[in-house]
Amino acid sequence: MFENILLGFSTAFTATNLLYCFLGVFLGTFIGVLPGLGSLAAISMLLPLTFYLEPTTALIMLGGIYYGGEYGGSIASILLNLPGTPSAAVTCLDGNPMAKQGRAGVALFITAIASFVGGSVGIIALMAFGPAIAKVGLSFGPSDYFALMLLGLVATVTVGGQVRKGLIMVILGLLLGTVGTDVTSGDFRYTFGFLELRDGVSLVGMAMGLFGIAEVINSIKGSNERKVTEKITARSMMPTKEDMKKIIAPMARGSSIGGFLGALPGAGTVIAAFLAYAMEVRVAKDKTRFGNGAIEGVAAPESANNAAAQTAFIPTLTIGIPGSATMSIMLGALMIHGITPGPLLITDHPTIFWGLIASFWIGNVFLLVLNIPLIGMWVRVLQFPYKYIYPVVIALICIGVFSMRTSVFDVCLVVIFGALGYLLQRAGYQAAPLILGFVLGPMLEENLRRAMLMARGDVFQLIADPLTGSILALSAMMLIWAFACGLKSLLNKRKIKILPEGEA
Amino acid sequence: MNVISLRFTIATILAVIGITAFIIGLQYDFGSSQRMGPGYFPLVLSGALTVLAVWEAFSVLFNPSSDEQPSLDWRPFAAILTAVLGFAFAISFFGLIPAFIVVIGLSSLSEHKYGLKPALILAFFVSLGAWLLFAKLLGITLSLFKFGF
Repeated sequence: MFENILLGFSTAFTATNLLYCFLGVFLGTFIGVLPGLGSLAAISMLLPLTFYLEPTTALIMLGGIYYGGEYGGSIASILLNLPGTPSAAVTCLDGNPMAKQGRAGVALFITAIASFVGGSVGIIALMAFGPAIAKVGLSFGPSDYFALMLLGLVATVTVGGQVRKGLIMVILGLLLGTVGTDVTSGDFRYTFGFLELRDGVSLVGMAMGLFGIAEVINSIKGSNERKVTEKITARSMMPTKEDMKKIIAPMARGSSIGGFLGALPGAGTVIAAFLAYAMEVRVAKDKTRFGNGAIEGVAAPESANNAAAQTAFIPTLTIGIPGSATMSIMLGALMIHGITPGPLLITDHPTIFWGLIASFWIGNVFLLVLNIPLIGMWVRVLQFPYKYIYPVVIALICIGVFSMRTSVFDVCLVVIFGALGYLLQRAGYQAAPLILGFVLGPMLEENLRRAMLMARGDVFQLIADPLTGSILALSAMMLIWAFACGLKSLLNKRKIKILPEGEA
Repeated sequence: MNVISLRFTIATILAVIGITAFIIGLQYDFGSSQRMGPGYFPLVLSGALTVLAVWEAFSVLFNPSSDEQPSLDWRPFAAILTAVLGFAFAISFFGLIPAFIVVIGLSSLSEHKYGLKPALILAFFVSLGAWLLFAKLLGITLSLFKFGF
């Protein structure tokens, strides 16, 4: 255990890896700060850059981009009340009122501290439970994998609130995942004669369209009215002693909630942040402070979503089943680099696993150290007229996708998925389940085929297996429960959202 | 565009995708449940997609209870997508620099009062940056200017 951690740090502490970790955090924060663009957009935009790197370095950089994007999103949401990521929406509730009271600097500082604490707790959980879960994962058969992936997909759908729309998105994603050469028979499916489609739909092109283009289109309207007037200096960021005392318990509660939820498939950072916030409201003696700039309302959700962001790597790296759209892009990136995540990752590629974990921690330190002196610069990025930014973002997306395979076809894919993403989003669909379905699709099919072959085509034999059967039953129950009280849970969620403001 | 009709249109598009995928999927070998062919998974999925999309479409028709009114911003939508398409076109015929000018120029159409001057300035700087980055720094083989294929 201890030598593994040492191995990790010795991997991460090479000059190249440190440089790319820093670069990732920096660029990720930069993109995350841009209104409307969150960590998902940051990862998909910068993914092509990592193709030229060693797998470990590439992953370290992607990890850095991820945290950077998350933190950048919080900056935008606190200053503009415009969450770049759904998980940052909770931070808005109290972060923006704090900014209006002239305490934006403190809110940003607390965000950085809480993110760091949450992240560290998550990393410790990852180190402690990752290898153990991988050992369990070794005994899984194809049918167990199939059931687990199904559970992950179902969980994403049910958590989203709108069950039917979520299901449609997951299935569309799975269907898109079948495009290309069928692994078992070698037949081409849905390639329509395009050579480019034989390797399947390009993940980068799809993600850029769904998250890059669609978000940019969404953010253009009204961008001229957004203004940041607060001046933030390093001095204004210093919280008082009282503030620091107040946030210790919320950070501890937030990190434990987040750390636990992040490891579950599908739950993710959003739910973690919401639950942590709801918990603080419940625990607090004076509930009226929430929504009016309560410092606990920033600290708890921020530490929760960062802890969840870390533990989300547990299922992704140790079993190979990503729990969220971001994780599925990370998984896609791993596979592009020729590494199949799964129980064997830790034993076969210990430098990657432990190096990555060490770099997570280094990335978090960078984030903290970087963002306190650089905060003025991020604020200036926000103040810069958006009209000069989005054409450049679009140009970068184009060249990024094009340069990957020097393929005009991939750029056209961006157009298609950009249009689809924007329309779907406007009609109330979420793109995240689609990406998750797309990445899991081929694995789901492969494992189902193997499982059915082993069960001689008998579905009941599949269900009769205690582990597979119980996971499948759990998925079915979740789905039925979600359909039955979909409306109710949606209403409840709304109530949590409105409650703090309503009590004001 | 009306919300209900937007939701209905999207659901219909999804249903059409499902039906098309199903019809194409029929050509692939279905196999048996013991030995699933390449057509098994696509057929099941496209069938499920069609059913759900039709269900969604009907529920939109019969339950128009929606208080939010999301609308489409046609102008940025059209401008940005044309810009990306223009990039694809320009880079395959005219090279990298013209492609950057096209993508910036077309993106700037997404706002009513963008102005020619800022667009030109931006296009100039991005092209300059691209030239520095790709030709000077990376020495990449992408041709900056070309004509025809």
